[in-house]
Amino acid sequence: MKKQICTLVVALTLVADNALAHTALMSCFDEGDGTITCEGGFSDGSSASGVEFLLMQNGKTVLKTKLTEYSEVNFKKPTGAYQAVFNAGEGHKVYVEGKDIIE
Amino acid sequence: MRKVYLTLAMSLLLSSTAWAHFQMLYTPESALATGTTIDLREVFTHPFADEHTMDMGAQHDSKDVSPVEAFYVINKEKKRDLLTTLEQITWAGAHNSAIAYKSQYKAQRMGDHLFVLQPAPYYEAGEDIYIQQITKMIVNVAGAPTDWDSELGLKAEIVPLTKPYSIWTGSTFTGIVKSNGKPVPFAEVEVEYLNRAVNLATNAMGSSYVEAPQDSFITIGIKADANGQFTFGLPRAGWWGFCALGAGSDTQYKGKELSQDAVIWVQVHDMK
Repeated sequence: MKKQICTLVVALTLVADNALAHTALMSCFDEGDGTITCEGGFSDGSSASGVEFLLMQNGKTVLKTKLTEYSEVNFKKPTGAYQAVFNAGEGHKVYVEGKDIIE
Repeated sequence: MRKVYLTLAMSLLLSSTAWAHFQMLYTPESALATGTTIDLREVFTHPFADEHTMDMGAQHDSKDVSPVEAFYVINKEKKRDLLTTLEQITWAGAHNSAIAYKSQYKAQRMGDHLFVLQPAPYYEAGEDIYIQQITKMIVNVAGAPTDWDSELGLKAEIVPLTKPYSIWTGSTFTGIVKSNGKPVPFAEVEVEYLNRAVNLATNAMGSSYVEAPQDSFITIGIKADANGQFTFGLPRAGWWGFCALGAGSDTQYKGKELSQDAVIWVQVHDMK
């Protein structure tokens, strides 16, 4: 039992270290065809595939999805102000304002 | 008096040949916060002293220059040819003008955009040899590392062990000199600081930033170790060029000696 607990603690510590050691990153651009592409990543080069992505408008979530195997998501450009959110967990969220997304 | 002038002229010529040629692949900023279209300049020059700018692709048997052999970019392992984006220009150095190129590139996607420029060999009349400098430069978008350390297996290549776009002033750059994927032991590496303000609007070099206390500081000669690896401390913000002389596997061009060199550019930023 003691051995199992130790293993679990070590595993959790490793996960925590890995999460803390790098910075979450996201960059978005206007495809020029009425859609936006956002790419996620981490400062250590690891994949962001499967990380949660949110599209917010007026404080409400209008799109909730996960980044593809290429660590990106493509969505129809919303009308009005919006915010793209890369949510890799507490302390690892990146917010990009729609007005800052250009071609 | 005539002898004095002659001696002075000879000294200048000798000094000139001692200073290093560098294939420049310039853009103002290599660490971009977000994707954007960037301006590039491809100039064969002497980045510190700027005493002479060379016609890229000049040949010994023709008045016409030979075109650039390869120019491409790699982002997330995808290669895109950029040869058709090159536009020939006249570049104005401090003392002469020469044939160079300009181009634009849409650095839109996140990650590293690894540029490779392979100009045609340039005939250096002063030494009766050809020089070909296969040049790498990396632009990063939004901080995510993707391709900066890729080994491309080029005939002459410097593979960085330090991200070339995220170097603080006073830090170091480490690279490995390779030829066709194999380290080049004890490679001779020349280091120069881009000591000129680059004017993209006029395609010209501006005034110099610093003065060298003595000629050995203009082109700093270092050597790689037995594994082809070298490290150099970078004391000032701006662009620094590293050139591994004769590292490439091609040694002849048009019946003349060819120095096939590997160049990489790194950009240093101040802590503010």
